Amino acid sequence: MTDIPSWTAVAVSVLLVLVAVAIASWQRLGISREIVIAAVRAFVQLLAVGAVLAWLFVHAGLAGALAWIVAMTIVAANESRRRGRGIPRAYWSALLGIVTGTAATLGVLVLGGVISTSPQVLIPIGGMVVSGSMQAASLTLTSLRRSAVENRPAIEAALSLGLPATAAFARDMRTAVRTALVPTIDSTRVVGLISLPGTMTGLIIAGVDPLAAIRYQIIVMYMLLAAWAVSALVTARAAQGAMFDDAQRLIPIPAP
Amino acid sequence: MESTELFTLEHVSLVIDGRHILDDVDEHLHDGVATAIAGPSGSGKSTLLRLLNRLAEPTSGRVLFRGTDVRDLDVLELRRRAVLVPQRATALTGEAFAEVRVAAPALDDLTVAALLRRVALDPEELRGRQPSSLSGGELQRLCLARALAVGPEALLLDEPTSALDPRAGDAVDAVIRSLVADGLAVVLVSHDIVRAGNIADDVRVLHEGRVTARGPAARLDLAHELMSPPDDGHVHDEDDPSAHGDTHAAHLHGTERLEQEESP
Repeated sequence: MTDIPSWTAVAVSVLLVLVAVAIASWQRLGISREIVIAAVRAFVQLLAVGAVLAWLFVHAGLAGALAWIVAMTIVAANESRRRGRGIPRAYWSALLGIVTGTAATLGVLVLGGVISTSPQVLIPIGGMVVSGSMQAASLTLTSLRRSAVENRPAIEAALSLGLPATAAFARDMRTAVRTALVPTIDSTRVVGLISLPGTMTGLIIAGVDPLAAIRYQIIVMYMLLAAWAVSALVTARAAQGAMFDDAQRLIPIPAP
Repeated sequence: MESTELFTLEHVSLVIDGRHILDDVDEHLHDGVATAIAGPSGSGKSTLLRLLNRLAEPTSGRVLFRGTDVRDLDVLELRRRAVLVPQRATALTGEAFAEVRVAAPALDDLTVAALLRRVALDPEELRGRQPSSLSGGELQRLCLARALAVGPEALLLDEPTSALDPRAGDAVDAVIRSLVADGLAVVLVSHDIVRAGNIADDVRVLHEGRVTARGPAARLDLAHELMSPPDDGHVHDEDDPSAHGDTHAAHLHGTERLEQEESP
């Protein structure tokens, strides 16, 4: 089909890392070390993932693909948890959001016969869904945490009128979910105009006809909209439950 | 005596990070009157108010509302019977009538208008107005109307006039006094002991988490009481003649501190 870069080509591309490091040290940004670590991490991680995927595609089958996706959700929830530091059980709120967003979206795609259940398809598509759900969960937790700090007076004013936590926090919940959805709505709106998104880029590089490649991309965009929405909503609901105690009080949450 | 008791604090202490925010507060707050909790900032008075509607929980001791432990009451019902109006007047909606209906959505326009008049606001002028476009004093009174809409038995007011200029503060005070005259119980927190004494029938002076003086406003030497050293282990009762022996230096020092707090 097309020319996939050789390992020699990859070695040449290391020059590009050196360019970034050169800029960082020339401008005394103090991040040269971080750039090198990030580049090395990317190399090692991708090498490991590539090896694992190569093995999975041959041996895993559906069960293996699902196990892989579950593992991704656990890693993703751990990443989101940082955004919700100060919110109790943030990990579980994020995990619930990511798992629900992923399961609902992949469920529709598989049951609707839109995508096949082979590991080559499920794993990369699942990865995109998990990643989108994770970003939605992270943005939701970030927003909820900011709300709890900045809007505490308004929230407590509402609680002091005898309103339940769900009512006192309703505005902040809407803000959190809306904030979390803005990036994916934006990227869906301008898709193809500003950048060629990953799926179709990959297919086109691999030699697929662009008109066929965009079909896949359209499905991916719609799938991500759903994943982000479900994950944001479920994460927000779960986090809200952890942010108020039995006496309908907003628990103390430190400023970010 | 039981029937006239609104709130009872039984040996209430609240400790946060080893610091005594409230230290063995044992008080009876009466129904149908205005009680002021006065003291400098950091004395624990806002925290004390928050214990009454369970926005805060004591580390030890009990808080009773009309003889029942507040923990045994449905917390939403407690907060509707004793509505707390926070220090910073905060609008929760984008329109004045909607603001009054926040916790009482079923109220018709006539009732909302009556509530607004009750707090000396003009309903015709306020209809359709954004709460954020109101002056500080008007917004504070709108918050009072929003609290009254719930139909409370008591209002818990946290520094109702501290953010206002003296004239706007007087208007809010007048509304509070008229509500008390109509039989509503008010517990009011203020760093301005003189102002608090003008509204309240009953005053508690709080210093570093402890009540250092109590009694009817008219009988407490208010300016003096605020200066009482917090750690003399002695509660100044209005009938206790020894309560008024003090040094002039402490008096002056405290007065200065009070004035500093009052300036914006």
